[in-house]
Amino acid sequence: MRRALHLRAAAPYLLLLPGLLWLVIFYVYPAFQMFLTSLWTGNLDTGYQQTWNWGIYQEAISEYWPWLARSIVYGGLATVLAFALGFPLAYAIAFRGGQYKNVLLFLVIAPFFTSFLLRTISWKIILADSGLVLGPLKEIGILPEEFRLLATPAAVVAGITYNFLPFMTLPLYVALEKIDKRLIEAAEDLYAGPWRPQGTLAGVAIGGVLGLVVGLVMDYGPFALSIPFGLAGAAIGTWLISQAFIRVTLPLALPGIFAGSLLTFIPAVGDFVNAELLGNPQSLMIGNVIQARYLQVTDYPTASALSFILMLAILIGLFIYARIIGTEELTGASI
Amino acid sequence: MTEGRPQLPVDITRRRFLQGTALAGTAAFLAACGTPPQTGGGSASSSAAASESAGAGASASASASAGATPASSGTLRFANWIGYIDVTEDGSSFPTIEKFQTETGIKVEYSDGAVDANETFFTSDLQAPLQAGQPTEWDLAVLTDWMVARLVRLKWLETIDTSLTPNFVANLADNLKARSFDPDTNLAAPWQSGMTGIGFDKNKTGDQTSLDVFFDTKFKGKLTYLSEMRDTVGLAAIRQGNKPEELTQEQFDAALADVQKAVKDGIVRQVTGNSYVEDMAGGGVVLAMAWSGDVLTLLVPDQKPDQDFQWELPKEGGMLWTDNMVIPKGATNKAQAERWIDFYYEPQNAATIEAYVNYVCPVKGAKEVMLESDADLANNPLIFPPDDWTSRLHIFRGTTADEDKSWSEAFTKAMGL
Repeated sequence: MRRALHLRAAAPYLLLLPGLLWLVIFYVYPAFQMFLTSLWTGNLDTGYQQTWNWGIYQEAISEYWPWLARSIVYGGLATVLAFALGFPLAYAIAFRGGQYKNVLLFLVIAPFFTSFLLRTISWKIILADSGLVLGPLKEIGILPEEFRLLATPAAVVAGITYNFLPFMTLPLYVALEKIDKRLIEAAEDLYAGPWRPQGTLAGVAIGGVLGLVVGLVMDYGPFALSIPFGLAGAAIGTWLISQAFIRVTLPLALPGIFAGSLLTFIPAVGDFVNAELLGNPQSLMIGNVIQARYLQVTDYPTASALSFILMLAILIGLFIYARIIGTEELTGASI
Repeated sequence: MTEGRPQLPVDITRRRFLQGTALAGTAAFLAACGTPPQTGGGSASSSAAASESAGAGASASASASAGATPASSGTLRFANWIGYIDVTEDGSSFPTIEKFQTETGIKVEYSDGAVDANETFFTSDLQAPLQAGQPTEWDLAVLTDWMVARLVRLKWLETIDTSLTPNFVANLADNLKARSFDPDTNLAAPWQSGMTGIGFDKNKTGDQTSLDVFFDTKFKGKLTYLSEMRDTVGLAAIRQGNKPEELTQEQFDAALADVQKAVKDGIVRQVTGNSYVEDMAGGGVVLAMAWSGDVLTLLVPDQKPDQDFQWELPKEGGMLWTDNMVIPKGATNKAQAERWIDFYYEPQNAATIEAYVNYVCPVKGAKEVMLESDADLANNPLIFPPDDWTSRLHIFRGTTADEDKSWSEAFTKAMGL
């Protein structure tokens, strides 16, 4: 009898064991190794010694902060853009998908059936200087002949946004799908009704500001993108935003927003494939630096230190973000 | 000129791309949208037949080399890049390997693609065991010059016993003898070479013969550099009248300064590995520092009516890089590896492999053999460069440990890293 009780009490821990082991072997141990490596000095030929050279962290940050900052800006922009695209998409599927829900969801993940790299390379074809997108626009004279998207920061952010869009959309869909539609009806009965003009205005404002930020970061000037982004925001806002949306739908979708933005932001910041294939020497990210330091320069300590710094920066950001959004919403509020 | 050539999509997979992360993906992609594998009318299939008949009565040169005591049994573990040896149409076997096995009784464990990038092969397969003084899992590996130079420096290579490899001694192309990192020509046996020069779309750029065009604003934003330090800096140094074979620190700095300025001024659109091929095909890039094989095997077959892709060895000179067979320190089957090296340097065997891989052949006499089976291929300057080309080709010198680090560091900085 006692033994059975013991077992029952131990069961949760036993169930945790495989996962914990996995984490220890494939995460904790390598991370610790990486930390030790960052404190080596030496080179490939004479060998490396563990010298606890803490100064390397300061050196790495002072030398590479522009790449770190750029990665965070690009990753952040891609996350916001993926949200702006993914939320209406997830909302439409969850609330208006009807019998086509599964088909639509399948379409969202369909790109995952090809490799990450292949998808990125196809963007080279789509965005080519006189390709599918730019060719016709140049033909009718909207864009100047020498305008290009490839080998620009815009292409990098667009590539990251595209590649991680499903990571944003799926958690949002799950959160939205769980919402009890009667709550929204109840809210509407309680005078949280449609809100069209204000919805349109809110959409314009969000789209306009986003366009302004993207335009400035991408060097297209403050207004070039504000207008198309504002128009798109107006359309989405009119359709989506209402009192009930702000008071019911959005708060209930918070866990999805939290999960989706993390799943997008974390890999986006560390990504190097998009910058390598779609960017130029002025738009390379911290992932490219780490790769070059490790493989080309064989400067393992700096590469490790940079990886560690990136990890810490993301962890700290995550902590602050979780504090702001609040862990309550993540655990219980949607029930 | 390329009419009669077997255009095999595997050609492209040899060169590094994204420093290795990406090889398989691009290969599949390019293979899918690129040239369909044609029935290799002349060379590929007939060479398979030829190798079978030759296998029956072990060739004369092999028995000639039996003066010492070459290995005649055992195993050879051979790591090579993907698509870098002749293969049967259905991909099930490698005719030249089969021939070697029949002739020598040595069993070959050939790995097609164990090497996918020099850097990653070094970290994954060589570094740990060799640092600990243990043998690696390989008896023979094909690696590029600069990696060979690093391994020589680290003393991680076995010396090839040249008394057992008379074909290698007799048939190695002269310009590949006594290279700076292998002065006695007994550490690395060239497998294939390639040239780095100017790739361009003649319809957009006109004829190009000078390296000056890479530093001129005329094609600003429409040209690319290579992410290989030795290619890009080498070409810049040649343009300044210096020799990559004996580059000094000052000359390196001067060459890099030019490169850095061009990157900073936005003349250089991107610094790429293999991916300049897609950019050129898409039309965004009209001029590139390019590897000889890429332009003819990848770009020309699929060019649009308004495109005319060309590859030119610059009048100032171009770079020659080589992938070499090396024996890692402590290799268990060194004698078998030497036997293979000798076998490869028989012109007949080199020609068979050459007809398939289409890079620059390092074996003297292979051209003569190939003239009989496929004259077009044998007369292709990109496979058998004529003498006035050879004299303009430069090999980047082996670098010291400090240079290796500080030069690649300076280069990656200039490239925006």
